[in-house]
Amino acid sequence: MALFGFAAAGAVTILAVVLIVLALVVYLVAIIVQLRRITTGLGEVLRSVSEIAEKSAPVNGVVKTINQQLDRGVDLLEGLLVKKAGMEDAVGLVDGLYPGSGSAGFRKFPGSGGTKAPRIGEVYTRGTLTLARLGREAPIAAGSPAGPALRDPAYGSAASAKLYPEPRQQRPSSLPSSPVVGTDSPVQYPPVISWRSGGEPEPEAEAEAPEAAPTPAESTPAPAADPDAPKTISWKRG
Amino acid sequence: MILWWLGDAILLLVVLPVVVFLLSGVLRAAKKIPPTVDGISSVAGAGSRDLNAVQLLLTTQDQVIKTVAGVADYGGSLDVILDDA
Repeated sequence: MALFGFAAAGAVTILAVVLIVLALVVYLVAIIVQLRRITTGLGEVLRSVSEIAEKSAPVNGVVKTINQQLDRGVDLLEGLLVKKAGMEDAVGLVDGLYPGSGSAGFRKFPGSGGTKAPRIGEVYTRGTLTLARLGREAPIAAGSPAGPALRDPAYGSAASAKLYPEPRQQRPSSLPSSPVVGTDSPVQYPPVISWRSGGEPEPEAEAEAPEAAPTPAESTPAPAADPDAPKTISWKRG
Repeated sequence: MILWWLGDAILLLVVLPVVVFLLSGVLRAAKKIPPTVDGISSVAGAGSRDLNAVQLLLTTQDQVIKTVAGVADYGGSLDVILDDA
């Protein structure tokens, strides 16, 4: 009886150990499979991340260069604007074109945001503003700088035009009237044909030439007589 | 004899369930990792593809340099022909 008891207890022990080992094997194999999947997935992630690092490596330098170039451009334009228009007018111009941005000032000129800008946008039209910033040829500068500024926004262009001198007589008092042309015009002009340099009339012009035109002897000048004559001449065809 | 049976009982009723519980927990945690890794892999791949356009930054850089140089030329010309304030 005691021997049977020992044998039974031993068998149960062996069974328990086998069960434990079996559970360890099953779960550990499943975990190993999962870890292999994780390793494979991480390999793909590492490859993609390596590509990202490789592709983004020059970005820093390139973007830095672009920003430096753009900063140079902004500094250049701001400096030119302030130099040519003055700080107050420059801030006023910027504020007139982009309301509210004048308070930000210019980046190259610290403290320029506190400049009290004139309300340029309400005084001048945009075109007048452009002309005003162009210096000597501007209507404002054409007048006395100490004189009153243009204050007529409705007719700003006409007012500025009056300030321009008129060195050339561009508007004479009277000009001869333009000739009247057409089939029913009071003065009928002979038809004109074009000649090539080789002396042959162009087909279109030849077809349109009337029959009652004068003879070639009456035409002046002859095509070959003057070597300096233009290649395309007009004459009356007989 | 009683202690042996007691040991068997502990093995079957305590140790084995604890081992199974712990291993199942580890397996559950391990099974949650691959989908996450797959998601990270797909996102990283998409990010890598998105960066294919980075090469165009070199063209942008050249264009910006040329543009700023042109602006500088125009600014220099304006500086010459216009009076200062």
